Amino acid sequence: MMLLKIAWRNIWRSKTRSAVVIFAIASGLVGGLFASAWMNGMANQRVVNTFSLETAHIQLHHPNFADNFDVKNTITSTEDKLAEISKIEDVKAVTSRLKVSAMAATANKNMGVVIVGINQETEKEVFGLYKKVDSTSGDFFVSKKKNAIVISKALAEELKVKIKSKIILTFQDYNGEITGAAFNVIGLFKTDNNPWDKMYVFVRDVDLRKVVEIPKGQSHEIDILLNDYELAGAISADIQKKYPEILSENWSEIQPYLSFITEYMDIYMGVFMIIILAALGFGIVNTMLMVILERTKELGMLMGIGMNKKRIFLMIMFETILLALVGAFVGEIISMLLINYFGKVGINISSLAEGLESVGYSAISYPMLEPYRYLEITILVILTGIVASIYPAFKALKLNPAEAIRTL
Amino acid sequence: MSVIKVSNLTKTYTDTEVPVHAVNGIDLTFEKGEFAAIVGPSGSGKTTLLNMIGGLEKSTSGSVEVHGQDISKLSSSKLIDFRLYNIGFVFQAYNLIPVLTAKENVEFIMQLQNWDKTKMNDRTKAILNSVGLGNRMKSKPNQLSGGQQQRVAVARALASKPQFILADEPTANLDSKSTNQLLDIMEKLNEEENITFIFSTHDQRVVDKARRVIMIDDGKVVSDKVKT
Repeated sequence: MMLLKIAWRNIWRSKTRSAVVIFAIASGLVGGLFASAWMNGMANQRVVNTFSLETAHIQLHHPNFADNFDVKNTITSTEDKLAEISKIEDVKAVTSRLKVSAMAATANKNMGVVIVGINQETEKEVFGLYKKVDSTSGDFFVSKKKNAIVISKALAEELKVKIKSKIILTFQDYNGEITGAAFNVIGLFKTDNNPWDKMYVFVRDVDLRKVVEIPKGQSHEIDILLNDYELAGAISADIQKKYPEILSENWSEIQPYLSFITEYMDIYMGVFMIIILAALGFGIVNTMLMVILERTKELGMLMGIGMNKKRIFLMIMFETILLALVGAFVGEIISMLLINYFGKVGINISSLAEGLESVGYSAISYPMLEPYRYLEITILVILTGIVASIYPAFKALKLNPAEAIRTL
Repeated sequence: MSVIKVSNLTKTYTDTEVPVHAVNGIDLTFEKGEFAAIVGPSGSGKTTLLNMIGGLEKSTSGSVEVHGQDISKLSSSKLIDFRLYNIGFVFQAYNLIPVLTAKENVEFIMQLQNWDKTKMNDRTKAILNSVGLGNRMKSKPNQLSGGQQQRVAVARALASKPQFILADEPTANLDSKSTNQLLDIMEKLNEEENITFIFSTHDQRVVDKARRVIMIDDGKVVSDKVKT
């Protein structure tokens, strides 16, 4: 307790020097934490968007469906499976989809697309695509029109179509015959993933089932939303055991890139903060060496009157750790305020929107940092303080008390 | 039995071009309750002798025995503990801990010795009252005069009731009034607590107060007189 008291008061002996060190630590942490939060926010948005628009948390397919999107590779007894899966603990919602490769044609252009036949009743419980259709761009199957289609604004631009325009979709039906149908555009959506936008078009399950002649009770895909995406691995494995004839994949298997993003962010933040703290550590070592030099006489006196080496070492270590912790506290408070503020208003880098959206990232990102990251940083700062104190403390221990007391 | 026995003590500095014999074969003994001054001109070896008696410097040869224990053979770690429990130091430049108050400075050694809090508190108050600073307990060193700081240093040295107190030129930085006050306090405490005081000094006022005066020159004792 006494050592802590001395160490704490010693920090404030040279206010300017301590303020400089505290400012250096605080600004280093603000830079590191904010940059990490920004990257984390971007990655998190990418992951959340992918769950919400593309993959959900778990998908079930016929084992061969992914090879060539053969319309005959279906999941049978879909209704029963949906009912059973929805009863599994931590399953939030479940829906089924049809997926058919097709050629979309207008008077101006032909493009390859994937037609997604959605179940109107359950689609919105699993996917959030309907939120991406703004009020000026039609609707997401609110109108009852038959053969309605919702496409992206990007695809509409490519095909030069607008709301109420007609698109001819050509595809292979269940019997292997090439067939086609005309669909009316009723809504335009826009996500942050431009290539995905151009790839998928959405129609009602009933309309697509009819023209492709897929028997009732069969689907190409079952999509499952969970209460917690981290449970996906375990629940997917359970489902796989229950239905060995179909393929169950969790989000990290469907999109290994997402798994890479989340793991990479952890590594990135760790390495980034270690580099910053290592640089700060050298600054702290330098400051503490100055402290030892300035207090040679005092340290000599302390040894002279009977303060043993362990206590001298601890006193210097406490002082270093406390100095680092004050800097960390200031830095973390500023970081929290900045991250909270920009987490609400977002950081808009619309000048890079095209590039970002081409790889699935939003131009507006919302920095975020999990609370436990602050605890991690505090622990890292304490470790930095401990490591940074070792060399100065050993220098202090090497002092000869009689000589040290004589120093001016 | 003597408190301190110095036998054939030498200290030779060899890190100079010509070896310097700072202390050259000194034999001395100090009894319990002595109030002794080691005097001599600058460079005569007073401080070196005091440092070796206090275990702050290792001797080149000879021995320093405190209550029969040869401290010149102790490791540096054991010497630190030895100093903590047996010796009180008063330095020329006061050397208080600047971030602690007068009371905390006095308590410092007792805290290192893990004294009971109540006993430590009572002892601190008593000793600060003895040196006339009962009303300055919460003052930090920079809020005290030189004389007051040195009185705190004496209180700190005495608080834990050491075997003896070594004071290296304790009055060198003080004016006459402060010197007289300090000497009166140390003399009173020496009598009240029967603690051995050994000074190194060339201050005649200290010499006048001392009951034993040891004169050294060129690292040797040239006279050792006990006043009657």
